[in-house]
Amino acid sequence: MTFLPRTPVVLLMGLTTGLLAFQSGGFQRRFNPYPAYESAGDSKHEFAWSRLQYTPLGGGGYGGFGGYNRGGFSSWSRDYPKADITFLAALRRLTRIDARSYQQVVDLESDAIFNFPFVYAVQVQSWTFSDQQAARLRDYLLKGGFLMVDDFHGTADWESFLRGMRMVLPTEKYPISDLADGDEIFHVLYDIGQRFQVPGEQYVNTGRTYEKDGYVAKWRAIRDDKGRVIVAICHNMHLGDAWEWADDAQYPEPFASMAFRVGIDYVMYSMTH
Amino acid sequence: MFKFLFKYPWSTFSRGHFVLLGAWPAWMLGLSIVVVSSGLALLIRAKLTPGDVGSRKFRVAGIWLLQSMLAALLLLLLWQPAITTAELKPQQDIIVFLVDDSRSMTLAENGTTRQAQAIAALGAGVLTGVEKRFQTRLYRFDRQAGRIANLKELHGSVPATRIGDSLKQIAAETQELPVGAIVLLTDGADNSGGIDADTIAALRSRHIPVHTVGFGADHATHDVEVDDAVMAPRAMADSRLGGVVRFHQYGYGGRKGKIVVRDGTTILASHEVTLGPDGAAQSDTLLFNVGAAGAKALQFSIEPLPGEESAVNNSVSRIVNVESDKRRVLYLEGEPRWEYKFVRRAEEDDRIVQLVSMLRTTENKIYRQGVQDPKELAEGFPTRAENLFAYQALVIGSVEATYFTAAQRELIREFVDRRGGGLLLLGGRFSLADGGWGVSNLADLLPVVLPDAKGTFHVEPATVELASAGVDNYITRLVDDSAANAKRWKSLPYLMDFQEPGAPKPGATVLADMSAGGKKMPMLTTENFGRGRTAVLATSGTWRWQMNSPVGDSAFTLFWQQLLRWLVTGTPGHVTASVPNQMLLDDGRVALSAEVRGDDYQPAGDARVEAHIIGPGGVSANIEMTPTPDAPGNFQAEWTANTPGSYLTEVIALRGERAVGRDVLTFQRMDGVAENFHTGQNRELLTRLASQTGGRYWRPQDLADLPDEIAFSEAGVTTRETRELWNMPIFLLAMVLLRFTEWLLRRKWGIV
Repeated sequence: MTFLPRTPVVLLMGLTTGLLAFQSGGFQRRFNPYPAYESAGDSKHEFAWSRLQYTPLGGGGYGGFGGYNRGGFSSWSRDYPKADITFLAALRRLTRIDARSYQQVVDLESDAIFNFPFVYAVQVQSWTFSDQQAARLRDYLLKGGFLMVDDFHGTADWESFLRGMRMVLPTEKYPISDLADGDEIFHVLYDIGQRFQVPGEQYVNTGRTYEKDGYVAKWRAIRDDKGRVIVAICHNMHLGDAWEWADDAQYPEPFASMAFRVGIDYVMYSMTH
Repeated sequence: MFKFLFKYPWSTFSRGHFVLLGAWPAWMLGLSIVVVSSGLALLIRAKLTPGDVGSRKFRVAGIWLLQSMLAALLLLLLWQPAITTAELKPQQDIIVFLVDDSRSMTLAENGTTRQAQAIAALGAGVLTGVEKRFQTRLYRFDRQAGRIANLKELHGSVPATRIGDSLKQIAAETQELPVGAIVLLTDGADNSGGIDADTIAALRSRHIPVHTVGFGADHATHDVEVDDAVMAPRAMADSRLGGVVRFHQYGYGGRKGKIVVRDGTTILASHEVTLGPDGAAQSDTLLFNVGAAGAKALQFSIEPLPGEESAVNNSVSRIVNVESDKRRVLYLEGEPRWEYKFVRRAEEDDRIVQLVSMLRTTENKIYRQGVQDPKELAEGFPTRAENLFAYQALVIGSVEATYFTAAQRELIREFVDRRGGGLLLLGGRFSLADGGWGVSNLADLLPVVLPDAKGTFHVEPATVELASAGVDNYITRLVDDSAANAKRWKSLPYLMDFQEPGAPKPGATVLADMSAGGKKMPMLTTENFGRGRTAVLATSGTWRWQMNSPVGDSAFTLFWQQLLRWLVTGTPGHVTASVPNQMLLDDGRVALSAEVRGDDYQPAGDARVEAHIIGPGGVSANIEMTPTPDAPGNFQAEWTANTPGSYLTEVIALRGERAVGRDVLTFQRMDGVAENFHTGQNRELLTRLASQTGGRYWRPQDLADLPDEIAFSEAGVTTRETRELWNMPIFLLAMVLLRFTEWLLRRKWGIV
């Protein structure tokens, strides 16, 4: 009688269980204690951390929460909801912003997004828009909304991100520029002088601060006709992971601190400019 | 008929004094009447029997009354009634004929000018009739009076009429002469605003009656006339300004007219109005963008209608000083809020109003925006008057009253009351009642009585609509048309939150209301307080108007820009110069006044104030203004602009060599314009003038009696005449009537 080696068996069982779990709606959906589509009426606070739900590249719909599911790659919900909740805890503790303690999911299918002038999007290399969705996001930004994008890495992701972004704001009128140290967005609450690349949780295992070919963090922005930042672009970094893993003893504190300070400054900027 | 019955004309009675010529005193007449009447009553009563019923008593009383009246009349005649009058001495007194020779007298009615009517009236025996008894002097007048030899010297070319000045001039020139009366022939279209009390007093002191003869119809048959246009004398550049045009019309009731306001040849605004009934006063408000800085003469007009008798009275000019100096608003916000962001964005488009803001981002950090230098507000909210008073308005967001020290709260009060600044309180978690403002010493500044409760701020939707006072208000005007404006407000997206503001105070104005949960409450309430103004906007959720309206919708931006401009517009500087009327019509006299306040905005009575005036044709004058008695910090000066044109005046206040402040104002002299207005006969003015001086108002067709009546005057050289009245036919007629009536009643009632 021949016994199968123990390690491969364990790995196989784990993989099988994981796939079954994803196919049935995803871990996070199953254990998610937070409602997926909070309505505007649920907000009894001034500020709600709003995460943009979009149709991912190759997907037929919004997909589920995290990882893969039947609908396709649900990239918009990466790090959801722990990143959001952890960041909100910091925001509530460190500022006078009357912020709701849990996140809000917004999409571009309805006008409800206009009740939330700050929106956060991740994995934006995979976002796609219909013409109507792009127009709604453009209106949102031009009327005073603020978009922060995070967690996309390298040249290919950048090009993919641009395809969607240019549907919303055309290059000629809304060029993308690098943010400088002296830009007001880095000084609204915290003076952030020396910025460095904030890696995702993969740093704990690999020691690398970059992913793909995104070796250098790019702090970029799109401004409106008065020079105000309306889209803050965090390329080649993963602030969301830093918030999510801030309470992990193995995740370096300087990265988490930088991520919190940048996030708070961005929120504060969006509420003052 | 009057003269037949009363023997003398009415003027004899109206100008004479009643007297009794009999030797017995007047009180004996009264006593005699009482005694005789009582005697008659006793006699009649003695004839009554106990069985007489009420109707018989009533009839007997009637007979007694008739007999008593007859007896009283006879007794009156025994006392010899008479009337005494003062009359001019023939050939000794002078009668002055003063004929209006202004341009309005050349207006024609029924094919004849008013001047021709006057000449014809005088020529129809009136002048010769008077000349037979008295000396006469003939004058013409327009701006001033001038003696003429005959009526052919009238030409009617001068576009001004000053009745008061002309009468005063005549009174002065004839000071040493026995002027018995003045006959004034005019249409009464005076341009100087009436006849002043000094002129009336000068005439009355010499007992000179002014007989006025009115020419011209009371009004035109087909004419539209602009009576007035009212707008603020100052405005900020690029601001919307409201001008109220008052007008009336004859002959076009129900027709459409077009009201226009122009700056030079540029039309700033226009819209149609339906003309009201003949002679009815109408008014309409035009809203327009006043444009770039500078002194501007705006023309308010109603486009001429077909067949109008006069089109020159369809427009008036008004001057506005459009100022471009920056107005600074200090906005203190207690927590980061979307309203703060969107208000700042709205104000970034305003080139005049600068929003300087302090935002409490954390417990101990304040983020400043819009500061002029790094030191501004670095120490927090100002604690010194000169620092806070550098702003024109103050906006306080979600901040508890106790955030301020007692001294700072007092400073806020002084900011409104003494400095004349604007204060706006916004709704929020720490605002109004929830922020303890209702129990603070600043509660009386607010235009509402805040509720005595906590938890008044709700993050719940609330719909908005205009209150009646807000429909035409500058702050809440999103669309020029009133009805469309009210509709626009109802279509605004709902507010993100609201706060219960309590009840508006008496004197406060609610401009907009909001409704939530079936409850309606004031959203925006304003009030004047001291020299300044206050407002409560009981929400922090208007930003939703911006985010939930189409791109490019201006409702949110317009509302906030207008609200903050209202907040700063009335805030005075250290020097505020003014003139009673910026448009001088035919009269160049101007009274300058200035209010001067020091750094702390206390009256600066020790200042030295100068006015530098620059006018047309190189006219230049420096005037030292003098303190106004009993009004500390107020200064005044009088000056005359002799030449038509625009005058720029800079008023500077100095303390030693240091400038306290300056102000600039503009006025304009226009000659010949006023004559185009109010061209109908001013009968009311002429009647009043005659009445005040003891003369009479005459219609031209009644002038035949003038030569006789003009003799009754107490001016000049007079004699006193006594005329007996006992032989007036009216007395005989009255006696016969009384007896006949008594006889008739006795026969009818069977009383013998």
